[in-house]
Amino acid sequence: MINTLPSTLAPAISVRGLSRTYGNGPTMVRAADGIDIDFPPGTWTAVMGPSGSGKSTLLHCAAGLERVDAGRVMLGDTDLTTLDDDELAVLRRTRIGFVFQSFNLIGSLTAAQNVALPLRLQGRRPRRTEITDALAAVGLSDRARSKPRQLSGGQQQRVSVARAMVTRPEVLFADEPTGALDTGSARGVLDLLRSTVEGGQTIVMVTHDPVAAARADAVVFLRDGRIVDRLVTPGVREVTDRLVALER
Amino acid sequence: MMRLSWAGLRDRRSLFLGAVLTVCAGVALVQSSLLLLVTAATLDPPAGASPIARMRFAESNEALVAVLAVTLGLAGLLAVFIIASTFAFAVEQRRRELALLRIVGGSRRHLRRLLLGEALLLGVAGTVAGVPTGIAAMAAQAALLHRLGLAPDGFTGRWQGWVVPVSVGTGIVLALAGVLIAARRAARIRPLDALREADEVTSGMTPVRLSLGLIAAAGALVLIGLSPVGGAVGGQAMATSVSVCAVISLSLLGPALAGGLARLLPAGATGPLGLLAVANVRDDARRAASVAAPLVVLTGLLLGQAGAASTFTAAGRAEQRHDTRADLVVEGTGTPLTLPPATGVAATETQVPVALTTGSGDMAYTRITSGLVVDAGAYTRVHPDAGDLTGLRGAVVAAGPGADGFSPGDTVGIRVGDTDLGRLPVVAAVPQRIGGGASVLLPAGLLTAGQLADAPWRSFVTLAPGAGHDDVADAVPGSATLVGVEQWLRQDGAARTSSSNAVLVAVMGLGALYALIGVVNSVVITVGARRREFAAARTAGLTRAQVVRTAVTESALVTGFGLLLGGTAAAGTLLAALITTGAVSGRPTLDLPWTLAGAVVGCGFLITAATSVLASRAATRERPVTLLAARE
Ligand SMILES: Nc1ncnc2c1ncn2[C@@H]1O[C@H](COP(=O)(O)OP(=O)(O)OP(=O)(O)O)[C@@H](O)[C@H]1O
Ligand SMILES: [Mg+2]
Repeated sequence: MINTLPSTLAPAISVRGLSRTYGNGPTMVRAADGIDIDFPPGTWTAVMGPSGSGKSTLLHCAAGLERVDAGRVMLGDTDLTTLDDDELAVLRRTRIGFVFQSFNLIGSLTAAQNVALPLRLQGRRPRRTEITDALAAVGLSDRARSKPRQLSGGQQQRVSVARAMVTRPEVLFADEPTGALDTGSARGVLDLLRSTVEGGQTIVMVTHDPVAAARADAVVFLRDGRIVDRLVTPGVREVTDRLVALER
Repeated sequence: MMRLSWAGLRDRRSLFLGAVLTVCAGVALVQSSLLLLVTAATLDPPAGASPIARMRFAESNEALVAVLAVTLGLAGLLAVFIIASTFAFAVEQRRRELALLRIVGGSRRHLRRLLLGEALLLGVAGTVAGVPTGIAAMAAQAALLHRLGLAPDGFTGRWQGWVVPVSVGTGIVLALAGVLIAARRAARIRPLDALREADEVTSGMTPVRLSLGLIAAAGALVLIGLSPVGGAVGGQAMATSVSVCAVISLSLLGPALAGGLARLLPAGATGPLGLLAVANVRDDARRAASVAAPLVVLTGLLLGQAGAASTFTAAGRAEQRHDTRADLVVEGTGTPLTLPPATGVAATETQVPVALTTGSGDMAYTRITSGLVVDAGAYTRVHPDAGDLTGLRGAVVAAGPGADGFSPGDTVGIRVGDTDLGRLPVVAAVPQRIGGGASVLLPAGLLTAGQLADAPWRSFVTLAPGAGHDDVADAVPGSATLVGVEQWLRQDGAARTSSSNAVLVAVMGLGALYALIGVVNSVVITVGARRREFAAARTAGLTRAQVVRTAVTESALVTGFGLLLGGTAAAGTLLAALITTGAVSGRPTLDLPWTLAGAVVGCGFLITAATSVLASRAATRERPVTLLAARE
């Protein structure tokens, strides 16, 4: 079964036969066990499943952060599994964005400097408006000069989103982006993600939260490193029911 | 990148202040030792001095130059070690931040450029502070040398413009080199490491590090093995070098050793705080090894050098006692002692500076050393170990107890003052002594009385039956001193000890201070880098005082580890010294500087404990929530 949303366009990311095991002997874990999935462009896919089911592993492999044991990961026409370290670094600063549960901002830099970082790493001098626009898009125009420790958790996460989006990546990967936030801040971040998808952004998001998952266009469910179920245009009730069923 | 470097610098003040301080002190120490060495090497004798006086000046100046050369060598070694290890350590502390950069698309080259950029800024800052500090250090060091009696009156270092580029090179090149080593490793960090709360614990041993460490260890062992065949001079040099090699080896192998030793620590026997401290040290043996590195260098070099000095001095005293047969000793200058036969016989040894040329043609090498004018028969009577000196008559010389680089059968050029005696055959050699002594023995009559007019002499008196101290005293010229042989041996021993101590203080004094700065620094840096960890411990229910206590316990464990490795390095030197003294004099000697060792251990624990109390109190000043709120 190829898990894909109905779409006529070529997938933004296409994963085929992805396997990844950790450890060996009695401690061996099959974190990903032959996963096939396509993420169509301009759609938001949520990945759910019990703890340890391989969600993060799928995300890391699909983003080229983690080595795969078998399978292919195509970002457009590029096979990520064949790239070397430098090529992956270039990819991360041009075609892929990340948002994580821990906000991963650099503490010594201001919000604006954090957002400008991927552009600087591309070796160009960001225009002032690029940064202010990116911060305005996440509603933080007035906090450009603040250091991460002077921002609330929700604000820090919005800076992370701004940083991930500033390069206009083809795919945004998010691992529990609302996991550390209260309901209000979480809603702010989800609204932000929704609006980028409306603008054509592709998002792959791991989450435990049915409310967050319900904001996505599709949900895939993992267990023991395999895709076991999926939902298109999910509702909170449905998602919760499937999760409960999975964990039984 | 430079902008990011700068932001990074501002945000980690204690880390980078420490790095600047090590560069500054290192540059100052190297610059001061270098300038003093150059000054001493080009020092002119006082105007209007006689040829002999000029030679005496040159002789004592050569000793000063030798002391300063060793000082410079140690200063350079310490600078390389402490600067490189501090910078490498500073990089280690930032793995998480570097992984973060990787996530947002930084390539390995970016990371290296960032780290090298920082090293450049810090190296420049340290050098700019280090050059003027070096001028102050030079004044202090010159005053110290004078007070220790190693430098002539009015000895001050001469400032030279060319030293600036040297200092700049020292500070910046060493900082860059330290970072370069660490940056290669650090740049290999995987982006995913930023997502793990704790760093992946690595052993810290790389193949290069392991092989360099093993090579240095092999070097130390070879030196120990060769020390019995090196003779008095070579053996002593090898013995003192053992601890240098061993210190290099043990600090390179530190992470592997720390891992092994940490497993020997009792887990859980000491309550929850002890448990936490032991767990932390075990979990990150590599950090423990980095913190301990400057302490290993300090203890190993200081105790190694001091142990060698006191052992060789003790051996020198023992030799002197063993190889002197006399009742009384008279010392004076100028007109020598003449005794009526009824009182006893005097064996007089007159000391003259000699320009000694060994080798010939292109290989000819001339140095100023000390010669002793002796009567062969009298000399062998007083020093029964001397062997057969019957050939020491006429235009010949013998190799003295401090001879080095020539032996019977050679011919050597001899010049005393402005009298060139030409090339003379070496007809005999007395056994080499650990305590050294004259390089050449000249037969009485080779030099005229005029040439020996102001020379210091020493007469060993053997009393005739029935004669006593007072009979000799009547014959002693006014300016000379007369003592019993026992007392003379004691005085001679004390003089040997004090001059060996003076050399030790001159060579190691500022260096030890510098290594101590390195020790304090590494404690401050690690503790400062653990603010989040401390905050997490406090949210888990530890009080601030308990966090501080845990940090102190940890630093005591690490200090113990550093002292152990340093002690091992010093023990290598002592072993070689034991073997050398045995081989040269037949009496294996060991004299341990217990007081110093006790002081090093005591101060080591005290200073690291005090530093970690202050640093961990500073690191826990903010409320834990403030720190945990910023999730980097
Ligand atoms: N670096 C690693 N080394 C060893 N095992 C790992 C590693 N990373 C993940 N695993 C194992 O792989 C399995 C899947 O892990 P993964 O992180 O993908 O789970 P997850 O679905 O994201 O869980 P959670 O919801 O708790 O974040 C787990 O059993 C985990 O223990
Ligand atoms: Mg996960």
